[in-house]
Amino acid sequence: MRRYLIPGALGALALAYPLLTMASPVYQRLGALVLLGAIGASAWNLIGGYAGQVSVGHAVFFGAGAYAAIGLYTHFGLPPIAGAPLGAAVAVLIAAVIGVPTLRLSGHYFSMATIAVAELVRVLVTNWEWVGAAQGISGPAVPRTVLDLSFTSAMPYYYIFLAVLSAILYLTWRIEKSRMGFYLRAIKDSERAARSLGVAAGRYKLYAYMLSAGLTAVAGSLYAIMFGFVDPESGCGILISVKMLIMAALGGAGLLFGPLVGALILVPLEEISNSLLGGRGAGLTFVVYGAIIVIIARFLPSGILALFLSRRQLQPKPSAAAKPAAAEPSHAA
Amino acid sequence: MSSILLQVIVSGLLIGAVYALFSSGLTLIWGMMNVINFAHGDFVMLAMYTAFMVWTVFGGGPAAAVPIAALILATVGVLSYFLLVRHVMKGPMLAQILGTFGLALLLRYSAFWYFGANFKTLPDNILGPPFVFGDIRIDAPRLLAGTVGLLVTLALHLILTRTALGSRMLAVSEDATAAQLMGIRPERMQAVAWALAAGSTGIAGALIATFFYTSPTVGETLAIVAFVTVAFGGFGSVPGALVAGLLIGVIEGLSAYLIGPVYKDVIVYTLFVLVLWTRPQGLMGKM
Amino acid sequence: MVRGAGRFGAFAAALVVMGFAGGAGAQQTVKIGAIYPLSGNAASAGNFSKAAMELAVDLINNGNPNLKDLPLADGKGLPGLKGAKVEIVFADNQGTPAAGQNQALRLITEEKVVALIGAYQSGITVTASAMAERHGIPFLTPESVASNLTERGFKWFFRATPVAGDFARAYSAFLKEQGKAGQKIGSIAIVNENTEYGNSVASVIKEVFAKDGLNVSQVIPYSANTTDVQPQVLQLKEKNPDVLIFISYTSDAILYAKTMKDLNWKPSIMIADNAGFNDPSFVSTSGALVEGLVNRSSFAVGKPGSISAVINELYKKKTGNDLDDPSARAMQGLLIVAEAINRAGSTEAAKIQAALKATDLKATQVVTGYNGVKFDEKGQNVLASSLITQMQGGKYVPVWPKDKAAGELKLPYKGW
Repeated sequence: MRRYLIPGALGALALAYPLLTMASPVYQRLGALVLLGAIGASAWNLIGGYAGQVSVGHAVFFGAGAYAAIGLYTHFGLPPIAGAPLGAAVAVLIAAVIGVPTLRLSGHYFSMATIAVAELVRVLVTNWEWVGAAQGISGPAVPRTVLDLSFTSAMPYYYIFLAVLSAILYLTWRIEKSRMGFYLRAIKDSERAARSLGVAAGRYKLYAYMLSAGLTAVAGSLYAIMFGFVDPESGCGILISVKMLIMAALGGAGLLFGPLVGALILVPLEEISNSLLGGRGAGLTFVVYGAIIVIIARFLPSGILALFLSRRQLQPKPSAAAKPAAAEPSHAA
Repeated sequence: MSSILLQVIVSGLLIGAVYALFSSGLTLIWGMMNVINFAHGDFVMLAMYTAFMVWTVFGGGPAAAVPIAALILATVGVLSYFLLVRHVMKGPMLAQILGTFGLALLLRYSAFWYFGANFKTLPDNILGPPFVFGDIRIDAPRLLAGTVGLLVTLALHLILTRTALGSRMLAVSEDATAAQLMGIRPERMQAVAWALAAGSTGIAGALIATFFYTSPTVGETLAIVAFVTVAFGGFGSVPGALVAGLLIGVIEGLSAYLIGPVYKDVIVYTLFVLVLWTRPQGLMGKM
Repeated sequence: MVRGAGRFGAFAAALVVMGFAGGAGAQQTVKIGAIYPLSGNAASAGNFSKAAMELAVDLINNGNPNLKDLPLADGKGLPGLKGAKVEIVFADNQGTPAAGQNQALRLITEEKVVALIGAYQSGITVTASAMAERHGIPFLTPESVASNLTERGFKWFFRATPVAGDFARAYSAFLKEQGKAGQKIGSIAIVNENTEYGNSVASVIKEVFAKDGLNVSQVIPYSANTTDVQPQVLQLKEKNPDVLIFISYTSDAILYAKTMKDLNWKPSIMIADNAGFNDPSFVSTSGALVEGLVNRSSFAVGKPGSISAVINELYKKKTGNDLDDPSARAMQGLLIVAEAINRAGSTEAAKIQAALKATDLKATQVVTGYNGVKFDEKGQNVLASSLITQMQGGKYVPVWPKDKAAGELKLPYKGW
């Protein structure tokens, strides 16, 4: 019984959070923003964490979801949520097309290629009239029906996001336990070794990439529905990609709850520091934000969840990136 | 060839040499220890502010600003290495991105906090009038930056390939354990690499400040160019960065002039993606 | 510790003040929220606007004897609310639509502001004003020009600034007049940065000029975060248009000024559409390179003793810079909102909304060069207008139309 106590309590807290914060719409909304961040980062985690392919270009997929949602509203008058499946389909397609040549690259080469593709897409979107070019496009300002999902209170968003996040985490957990999860971890440890054991590394990386892309698009659609606006920078900007990566890495990439933990720290940090310091106009928000990221990277390079895992579980891989440091015994914390 | 087209090419080569100058530090770190420094653009920004301070507060010219910026930035580089990079290198590759991105924000907004958000520029005639050859005009600051760019990349290349220090650094980057057995201290060599890389970035920033605006967020604009240049030229290859910088400068200039400035990014990024897909080691890199 | 003591001191002082004022009805503070880019790429402009709005609040609360015509500037706070003081609460939109909307919610629900002002970038005004609309709180934008902002059917949205169509018509009339006076206006080039601001203004100018029979021969869009503008200047040099119109942000404006000198090319009339060319950073760093540049502005320093001249002096004392146009418009936005709250005599949202709709300020009662302030049913200020200024000796001087001019127009463009 005791092993269910803590997860059960945390689950109940997650369910009750909006009710506990009824008095403060800002904190209620903060809960929804944390979940939204966690959805994006969890989607990224499939390819970036589990498969170890560090994409810095997921904004392409996020943008596909966001633009599909608002685009269907702008051009066909449909409720934005109708764009979510379309965005996911487009994102999976894009992932398949760019994935084949890009996933052959490894390490930093892969990261750089994803940045390049994302920047290219951002520039193209900036010049594409149908999606509002540089001006961007807006969703329904005032809800026509409840299907427009345009609410004053953050509570409906919170529960929608909670449901989506739970579904993604469940899916991730199933994959983690499946043969595919095993293969992905093998690829992450050493792609060459995995191949020599007969793992079709290319195929499984592509599957993970496409799945990750589709789920990232869902995050983009949800974002666009909540904020009601998307332009090239807020849809496809490099910062979108970087934030997903940072949240996952901070909490613990390749761990089921890593992205959620990262979002639980970063999103409130960003919002609260902006609320407290932003109005002074001295940029102190980002000094604090940057400093905390640096400190965590310095002392917990494998993420915060590493604190709770035994050394043995984290031990095996002095990553390719840490090659020169192999001279010293590698220790995670 | 029309004189305007010739001017486009000459201007492209000059700006390309500047790209090479501020990219060589990034490529050095990348090649030496397989670390992407996301704070590289902000190193350039710090150097630009340093130059600005030397000029406005102490009244020193480029002859003073360049070495001072090189020295200060080398110090920043070594400090970043010992306080941060050395540690994040022990974690996964993600930790480096996390750490250097955090460092970028920290540097950018510390400058913002200290210097304010305003754009600053150095007096426009600080290095004298432009050189005129027939219809071709070359402004002095760019000519200086371009020339120094060539010299610095050449010097870095020679240090890496022709000196004992260079061979020791390369030994560490090839196999740190083996190097240690031969009596080389890897950490010291890596710190030297950071000093060299950040120092040359300091020179770059001080020179760019003579013809570019300085603001806390200027590093963002420059960093993306540096990434493209480095990947194009081959990770870790200093001569590669030079060739790539010159190429990108000319391609940008020509595509902006002939097709339209909006499309120059499209063309450069498309080329960049194509090069990565077909020849991931870049023009002159080793896999 | 010192800070804490300061805060305690302020608290104690407030208690004393309240004790004294208690008999006459407790004096309240009315909070107005302002959402501006205080970090990120547009932070320079955002922080200048912040300083201007702080000055406006100071005028309302503490007064200035030289500003008799400016409503509320006699230092009695808001007489309609028993002399209540105005407090402005700033929030940083960080240049992102998300932060803009999140901060709008915070200002409305936590800070209990009675009205919102902002948000500089049009895209952020979209998301922030949607939050205000849902909560039924008035939102006034002093500077966002995207045309669709007033087409959303919002009931709580107001815009004080002139929009792109107004500038385009002003440029057209100005150029035709110069053409009649003998200047060459046969070919016109437009160089615009490629985000929402530059694109929308450029397309409106093209439309209006085509209707008015002016020949736009060259349009060069470019991305604002560019490292080099030489190819653009060389394209211009090759076609050599008579008139050049820039629609640019600060960083690119600085690069254009330098590069045109380096490559030694200038048109006979050079016009800048406000924005980057009006940024105090641009004026101080590059003003000497663009002597004779014609600019659009809603603010110009008038004769000594005029509202604009007095305000400019006060602003200069506070920040060391002349008051620039976007900051003047931000300041005007705050004054409009404060005047409406005062007339409403209440902090109730619906009453402030009604008062804003009934706003009727004369040209003599505003800081900017507007013909006054009066909102139509969509919330657009129908009396908003621009004047044409010219860079003369490192300063912008109003030169057109004649009745608002303070200096003589000097053409052709001189440059450096």
